[in-house]
Amino acid sequence: MKRCQLFPFLIALLVFSSCKKDFMELNKNPNTLERALPKTLLAPALTEIVKFNAKQAESFGNELMQVHIDMGGSNAKPYRYDIPTSLAIAPYNSWFLQIPNFRDIYSGALYRLGIDSLGHNKTYMAISLICEAWVMSLITDTYGDVPFTEAGQAKEQKFLPKFDSQESIYLGLFAKLEEANTLLKTNADFPVDEQAADPLYKGVALKWRKFGNSLYLRLLLRASAKSVSNAPAKISAIVLNTTDYPLIDNNDASAILRWTGTVPYDSPFATTKTAAWNTRGYTNFFINNLKLWNDPRLAKWVKKDANNQYTGVPSGFLPSDNPPKGSSRPNTLQTEPLLGNMLNYSEVQFMLAEAAARGWITGAAKTYYENGITSHMTLWGLTLPTGYLSSAPIAWKDTDNLEAKLEKIHLQKYYSLFFTDFQSWFEYRRTGHPILPQGNGLLNNGLMPARLMYPVYLQSSNGANLRDAITRQGPDDINTKVWWQKP
Amino acid sequence: MKTRFFNMKTIKNKVISGCMILLLLGCVPVMAQQQSAVVTGTVVNEKSEVLSDVTVMIKAELTDESYSALTDKNGAFIFKKLKAGENYEFTVSYIGYETTIIKKYLVKKNESNSVLVRLQPKSSSLDEVIVTTALGIKRQKRSLGYATTELEGSKLTSAMSNNWTDALSGKVAGLNLVRSNGGPSGSNSIILRGENNITGSNEALVVVDGVVINNGSGRVTGTGYKAQADADSPSDYGSGLNDINPEDIASVSVLKGPAAAALYGQRGANGAVIITTKSGSKQTKGIGVSFNSDFSVEQSYRFPKFQYEYGQGNGNAKYYSYNNSVDGASTKGTSSAWGPKFNGQLYYQYDPATQAGGITRTPWIGYPGAVEDFFELGHTFTNSLALEGGNENTQIRFSATRADNSWIMPNTGYARNTFNISANHKVNDKLRLSSNIIYTDKNSKNLPAVGYNNQTVMYWTAFMQPNAPLSWIKDYWAKGKEGILQNYPFSSNPDNPYLISYEMLNKSVRNGITGNIMVNYAFTDVLNLMLRTSLDYAYEARSQQRPFDTEKFKEGMYRTQNIFSQELTTDFLLRYNPKINRTWTTSFSFGGSTLKNRYLEDEIRADMLLFPNIYNLANAKNQLIAIPYRSNYAVNSLYALANISFKNYLYLDVTGRNDWNSVLATPSSTSNASFFYPSMSMSAIVSDMVKLPKAVSFLKLRASYAGVGSGRNVPYLTSVGYVAQSVYPGGLANPTTLANLNLKPLYTSSFEVGTNVRLFNNRLEFDVALYKSNTTNQILSAGLDRATGANSAIVNAGEVENKGIEVQVNGRPFKGTREFNWNVFATFSANKNKVLSMTDDLPELQLQSGPQGASAVIAKVGGSIGALYGIGFQRAPDGQIIYKDGYAQRTTQMIYLGNVTPTWKLSIGNEFRYKRLRLSILFDGQYGGSAFSMTHASNMTQGKIKETLPGRDDGMIGKGVIDNGNNTFRPNDVKAADISLYYESVGARENAEGNTFKTDFIKFREFNLSYDIPVNMAKRLGLQKASVGLYGRNLMIWSKWPQFDPEFGTLNNGTIDKGLESSQFPSTRTIGIKLSVGI
Repeated sequence: MKRCQLFPFLIALLVFSSCKKDFMELNKNPNTLERALPKTLLAPALTEIVKFNAKQAESFGNELMQVHIDMGGSNAKPYRYDIPTSLAIAPYNSWFLQIPNFRDIYSGALYRLGIDSLGHNKTYMAISLICEAWVMSLITDTYGDVPFTEAGQAKEQKFLPKFDSQESIYLGLFAKLEEANTLLKTNADFPVDEQAADPLYKGVALKWRKFGNSLYLRLLLRASAKSVSNAPAKISAIVLNTTDYPLIDNNDASAILRWTGTVPYDSPFATTKTAAWNTRGYTNFFINNLKLWNDPRLAKWVKKDANNQYTGVPSGFLPSDNPPKGSSRPNTLQTEPLLGNMLNYSEVQFMLAEAAARGWITGAAKTYYENGITSHMTLWGLTLPTGYLSSAPIAWKDTDNLEAKLEKIHLQKYYSLFFTDFQSWFEYRRTGHPILPQGNGLLNNGLMPARLMYPVYLQSSNGANLRDAITRQGPDDINTKVWWQKP
Repeated sequence: MKTRFFNMKTIKNKVISGCMILLLLGCVPVMAQQQSAVVTGTVVNEKSEVLSDVTVMIKAELTDESYSALTDKNGAFIFKKLKAGENYEFTVSYIGYETTIIKKYLVKKNESNSVLVRLQPKSSSLDEVIVTTALGIKRQKRSLGYATTELEGSKLTSAMSNNWTDALSGKVAGLNLVRSNGGPSGSNSIILRGENNITGSNEALVVVDGVVINNGSGRVTGTGYKAQADADSPSDYGSGLNDINPEDIASVSVLKGPAAAALYGQRGANGAVIITTKSGSKQTKGIGVSFNSDFSVEQSYRFPKFQYEYGQGNGNAKYYSYNNSVDGASTKGTSSAWGPKFNGQLYYQYDPATQAGGITRTPWIGYPGAVEDFFELGHTFTNSLALEGGNENTQIRFSATRADNSWIMPNTGYARNTFNISANHKVNDKLRLSSNIIYTDKNSKNLPAVGYNNQTVMYWTAFMQPNAPLSWIKDYWAKGKEGILQNYPFSSNPDNPYLISYEMLNKSVRNGITGNIMVNYAFTDVLNLMLRTSLDYAYEARSQQRPFDTEKFKEGMYRTQNIFSQELTTDFLLRYNPKINRTWTTSFSFGGSTLKNRYLEDEIRADMLLFPNIYNLANAKNQLIAIPYRSNYAVNSLYALANISFKNYLYLDVTGRNDWNSVLATPSSTSNASFFYPSMSMSAIVSDMVKLPKAVSFLKLRASYAGVGSGRNVPYLTSVGYVAQSVYPGGLANPTTLANLNLKPLYTSSFEVGTNVRLFNNRLEFDVALYKSNTTNQILSAGLDRATGANSAIVNAGEVENKGIEVQVNGRPFKGTREFNWNVFATFSANKNKVLSMTDDLPELQLQSGPQGASAVIAKVGGSIGALYGIGFQRAPDGQIIYKDGYAQRTTQMIYLGNVTPTWKLSIGNEFRYKRLRLSILFDGQYGGSAFSMTHASNMTQGKIKETLPGRDDGMIGKGVIDNGNNTFRPNDVKAADISLYYESVGARENAEGNTFKTDFIKFREFNLSYDIPVNMAKRLGLQKASVGLYGRNLMIWSKWPQFDPEFGTLNNGTIDKGLESSQFPSTRTIGIKLSVGI
């Protein structure tokens, strides 16, 4: 070979080597998109959380609140108030990770609004606010003070978000829900080709508005012991003006992500193997009430035991007691569409019943109470048995004292919150209802945990802000009461 | 052909009469009566391998006339026109060998004078060892200003393992292997000299014949799952690095520090392992065929100390009943073994014949060994055939290897075919062409899933009950419901391990080509150009299948991945070696390279199936989900090297390199993409400069400085984008790992000093290196508070300092004789790592997170990057554990538990040779590391190990104190009410301290006994040479680590984590036999 044949190659190589101008193009990620339209973000974020919540209800909320208990070999035993620190990680992480997705729906829709001024952009903005308020309320009700104003801003390099007080979070959530209600006045539904982007309401603005206001009602009630929330007056104002504050007023408007059985809208329990599904046994408390009331929901939710009986396990039993498992869950629940419940009509009715019983609104508590029961039966495709509402344990008595009334309302509400994230635990912490039996195997001095501890990893990833929050709120302990629980 | 054997001082004479005058062309005529004659010869080494470029001098004893020649590729030399009847003296010299002198060689007339010279290696040859350094440049070891270690290929094949890199353990000071422990294809990360790079890739560069394989075929790719309780479990599919056939390796050169690897640029920032494969040579004997056969058996050992005294049951259970019975409620559902003691009493138990509860009571007894017996003997059978041959101008070597493995877990293993061809052709005096190509075809019928997850076998080992034999679970389908309903009689948490082995398959077929084509052109004697194109290419088709009724997939699953990876590099190196004079020698090199890396992965998922037992994508119940991934990046580089030596005892190297790395380009700028770094190293052979005491045979001092920049090799860390949510049509979400728009290259500056000293006539050698390196602008993936909306962020942060020492000792306690030889070698390395600074954005960096978030590896200023923190015991001021109600109390704050990186490592090897028998033994160990064990936690909380026996019958009072509440403490005197809760308080996974153990160990690492069959006997068998060997690997482990291997790694998606064990596979010992023949 001659030299002259080699040198051009060498020179070409040199020229190429010193070149980096293609690099900007080369390092453009072909696996991601720089922008996301609001319609692309909603379904994954919302569905992931609803699925997660149902799984958490199964493994944690339902145990604490004596719905059912894992009789298999699980190490965590929330039903015995044995709360390992590890349980605190998943809810915190899973909920917070969706906050940026909800927030980007708002900013994306606001940007679109500037371009096309179409009304349904406002609907997207409102949906973003409602979803964020919903998820943030779950987070703060579980942990107390958490990051809020500085949350979800990793993209802005905010890696150490400060923790806000629960009080300020609640006021912030109220503001978001007010804004959502205002935005939804436009009443602009999604265009037909975008309806699939909303697995909950198919982009119907009015339904979102009802959900937002019902959520507002839920949060007002939860903070009602705190004067700063001004809850009684606000609840009254909402109920008096349902034109401006429409609430969920029928089962169809309920916020339920109904599982269709088709991926991705399949129930999170659809893939659980039968043997694992059957390890959970219902409790005496859950079963005995339904038996006592001759409640048709019993047959819907509970599979009879080997002896063809409805039996449960006792509350907080000692491990050595080793009670038999008894009734477990029917396989139909594995694909049950209604386990995607977020906030249903009957809950709204029970909230109003409580407000009426407390004298904050003028309507009859009895009506709301009975509506709540009836509508929940209807929701589950059941007919209210004759005489159900007048039977002794159920029948409303205006002469009952407030505690007795609250017990009745909350006992029914407890069933209407079947598989609904941690709502019945939150309500129990607020009201002490329904009154749960206490077995002698309970740990934590028999005290219902008041919150979950912060995930341990925050000690290193956001230590200073975490310590500030603990100083403000009280020790990082399952018995430290959150703001709305504090006397 | 007549040959004469000459030993060092053996001379044979023959006298023949009659001489002729030899006239040389253009030379003066000499003694007219003499006749001219020709002498040919061959030079071989002690192993009968031919040696080229050997200087052969010949001198007539009477006239002093002399000639010299070099041996060619075939070790041959020729002297024409010698005088017949004259005595000549041969002087044969070659670096690394004793100079051999043959006196009074009488050249005969009319006869072919043929000489075979056998050179013996120089006992003091170390100073002239040739080392393959960065970019494949061969250098004399004495001239290097940095630490290197060289290993012959035979050191890697004498005791084979599934992954040949295992053989590096204990042989190189400062080398640390992190093993995924992930089955027969288990990957290893090679870490040299501590960890200067907190997260991300801190593996050494691996170069095979000039081809960097880390990021092409050598890339370890995850299945997207973590080691702990994820939606599915990862499998280790191995990498192209595993697939290199160790029989093809001629030598391995380990360049430890940045100075050594400076010419490899950013990729060499963590040192380099340079592999040179064998090349062909002209055969002087036989037909150039060699054959190796290796058979090894692998046995699992060091299981947890399972207890077989108490059976299944919850805390304080007084009876056992499979299903509800007259004895009480069913106790079959629990995963724990806190049940009644085995006294042969009668209980209703599982009946494997009916797969249901027995109708009569049967004796309550333990069945020891179920978990141990589940694992089989693994075996690997490797056959390798190599052919080589050629002439003066062309040499070719071809090898084919077949390896068949069946691993310790039933129905797992692989089959591998490797073909290697290497060719050299000298076109003319100036131009030389060469090529080396390795083709690999690896097929795995099933690779085990790893980690702590319902679907892994190792998870099951903590759930098996002591009251059940293995035979009860061998039928893994429910009778009459085969393929639809699995049979597992106890807790529903694990899947049946036989179902996992035989039905939940992870398959892989990988084809890869790694090779290069190289042209060398010598313009003049001193100017040479090398041009090379290297390709590292692999295609892999993987699949995972799960039958119906498994823990995570009720209706089965089938997924496939097509993975294509390619790295194409073209480089050149221009070398100029002008001779200045005898005092000064110089060499200048200038080179450049351009690299393009491409990776494509397409995953298709059918996460529910229509019909059971059919694994193809047509059987998908739902719409198929596609998850594609693509990546591209390029690195362009220019580099230069100057070597100057003074009187062959002072050496100076200066290098400079600039890299342009596309992964540091942002959407708007390439300003961070270019980085330059220099290095300088010096070596002084003091023993040649001044007169030293007689005891000192050789003394070398060396020093080096190097700066190395690195941008890592992960593209797309510089722009934020929304990630497709494949199951949602048109769905997107924010990324969970946050990019860094202003990502800068990290920079390591490193100083190293060292010495090589040989004493007592080279019988004792020390090589010591001391180094200090500081790395700034680390490119890290740091765990974030998820309230930020992201899991982790890529940050430029921190300064980390590594200081360390590496010592290598070689000795010959007895002066070697032909009959007996004894060599001892030892290595020692210690590294201290300190975090000097962090970023303002994140004062502490969470680098790895343990199971249940109770433990983590956290980097803090003043700490170490291997610092393990976690929840621990509450302790009184005097250190005693605080108990309350009989149970140990845990902290809420994470406390420091130890360092996952050992403080020091040590190895000692002995090699004995007696005549044809060779024996080598290697022990190694480490000290100062700690790790968390999930396996231990799981066995503790479920009462499966002997550690949980005390107190079962009569309660347990933990050793410690009770807090009186006024800063005073009294000894604990409260019996724990529930023994299971007691052991949970001390051993639950949430108690990181209770499950953290020292990973100190001593291992009987290697043992090798081999025998060379005498040549005469071999010849009778028609062979040129033959040897047989017996070997063992990892024969014993002495360690406080509670089970299996303290040297574990955890496969976590695509990385191998250290320090956080999550259901490791059993450690294994290997015993094998080996046969080598040459024809």
